Amino acid sequence: MSDTPHASNGRSALLRVLRERPALQFVLLGAILLVFAVLPHLGLMRFSTMSIFAYTGIYTVVALGMNILLGFSGLISLGTAGFIGAGALGMGVFLQMGLPFELAALAVLVISGSLGALIGLFSLKVESIYLAIATLFIGEILRQIYTSVPIFGGEFISIGPVKLFGFLELNQILQQQRSVLYAIIILVLVAAMVLMHNLVKSRTGRALMAMSRSEHAAQAMGVSLLKYRLTAFITATVYATSGGILYALYFQNAPTRAWTLNISLLIIAMVVVGGFKSIIGTFLGAIIIYGLPNLLLKDLLGDISYVFSGALIIVVILFYPRGFVFVWQDIKRLFVTAKKRTGTEAPR
Amino acid sequence: MSDRHPILELVDVSMTFGGLKAVDHLDFTMHEGEIVGLIGPNGAGKTTIFNCVTQFYKEYEGTIRFGGEDGPVDLKSVPVTGVVQQGIARTFQNLELVGDLSIIDNVLIGGHTHFTTGIVSHLFRTPKARQEEREMRERAVEVLDFLGIAHLQDLYAAGQPYGILKKIEIARTLMARPRLIILDEPAAGLNDQETDELDALIYQIRERFETSILLIEHDMGLVMNICDRVCAINFGKFLAMDTPAKIQRNPLVQEAYLGKDDEE
Repeated sequence: MSDTPHASNGRSALLRVLRERPALQFVLLGAILLVFAVLPHLGLMRFSTMSIFAYTGIYTVVALGMNILLGFSGLISLGTAGFIGAGALGMGVFLQMGLPFELAALAVLVISGSLGALIGLFSLKVESIYLAIATLFIGEILRQIYTSVPIFGGEFISIGPVKLFGFLELNQILQQQRSVLYAIIILVLVAAMVLMHNLVKSRTGRALMAMSRSEHAAQAMGVSLLKYRLTAFITATVYATSGGILYALYFQNAPTRAWTLNISLLIIAMVVVGGFKSIIGTFLGAIIIYGLPNLLLKDLLGDISYVFSGALIIVVILFYPRGFVFVWQDIKRLFVTAKKRTGTEAPR
Repeated sequence: MSDRHPILELVDVSMTFGGLKAVDHLDFTMHEGEIVGLIGPNGAGKTTIFNCVTQFYKEYEGTIRFGGEDGPVDLKSVPVTGVVQQGIARTFQNLELVGDLSIIDNVLIGGHTHFTTGIVSHLFRTPKARQEEREMRERAVEVLDFLGIAHLQDLYAAGQPYGILKKIEIARTLMARPRLIILDEPAAGLNDQETDELDALIYQIRERFETSILLIEHDMGLVMNICDRVCAINFGKFLAMDTPAKIQRNPLVQEAYLGKDDEE
């Protein structure tokens, strides 16, 4: 816009572009992650490592939904794993019935979105710790259904090669096609990040925050609690279910026993550790909670890596109680002497 | 003033909290364009009246009518979230702002009902949604500029001094394009200079935004300076409603309120 004398400085130009179009940072992250689709073919990385990144991407999508609830709307759900399971197993059932992939995904999203709406209605009656307990049991009920109802096939549903858009058949056993599947996950991740960014920077995002920070003022300004509770829970369940759909797409088999409370708690930990209300922070959280222990530490330390990651989480919470994403401000402070301001500037 | 048509009418309004009559058969009327002060000792039921008018309390008896653009509306039939669309916006005694949003975003919450785009157009940032957001932001900057705090727009609301927070709340009500603004103790916590500034500001708000203003205030100086009429209540009961000068001389009011406090 304005021609500054330092416009030729590449680094600051990049920062300025990112400031004007914040959504680009997600595209940038996606581009970096896409490199991992190629590296295994050059013999520079193991294919199992790519799968860890795929898993991290899936977890991030789910945790973004949790951040809408926890960070923006002040609501909680301990039933997240149940909805990831709904995505994965629902895809298994519908694909076995012979539905095309896209239609199956739509059906699964509509079903769990409606369930999310029910929880949203429910949240008008019960709050905080009671809401946590209620959603805990919704998750448990879903888990029970998955393990005991015959339609889900006992141990797991084997999905097999998936056909996208009616012509693109992808089999995860084949290394080339697995890379394509990985790339699809990253594309969906970037889309999920951009959509969430758009949402929270809009009237809808402001209404969610007003609802959670000051119910009375929100109502006085015309924000309907019913509408925005529903919005929050439907968005969160759709994100969680999308994670499940991506799981079914990448691993092409859907286990029935995996969707435990443990996973729901990990998702919450990702949001807390990474950063409330931060999209990039959510990704950092997924890396710290899931990625690091599996990527690096497991090879070095074996099973004890989980102890290490537990300790890491405690350290992060101690020093970055608002989320690890704030480490960026400390790094900046090391290089730039901060100008004295009368307040903290809000990110755009 | 009485030739203008009424904007807010309370007819025989009572509100009881478990046997305690917080508001007791109260009647009063304010007219379009008026600045009316509601005074009374602590616990007289002032904030309760505000909460009845803005429909936070629905269990009141009697009728509260608002002179809307299409004739009078019985507010009881309006849900609490619909009051602002009728044209009533309020501030709160204990500031109710979103600390972790920027000042301008706080003000934009006041414009919530004036947006026409929905969640889908927000998700995809359609041209229409972007244009609307831009227009609303421009309006919010205008409002902040009018209050003299436009330069702070990108700062978080949290950590701002009290006087600024009060202004953000007023800016948020103005963003709602109200025809009646209800201010709950606007001068509480302000220093003398800020109170003087508020004096002038309330006048300017009425002129520029063409609104009526109803306010609760303990600062008698402010009330006597700016109000066209003052309504005094005590223990939920109506005492008198008149011009500030006459209210000051009213023996009932002196006994109930001013008489107790020699400093005033």
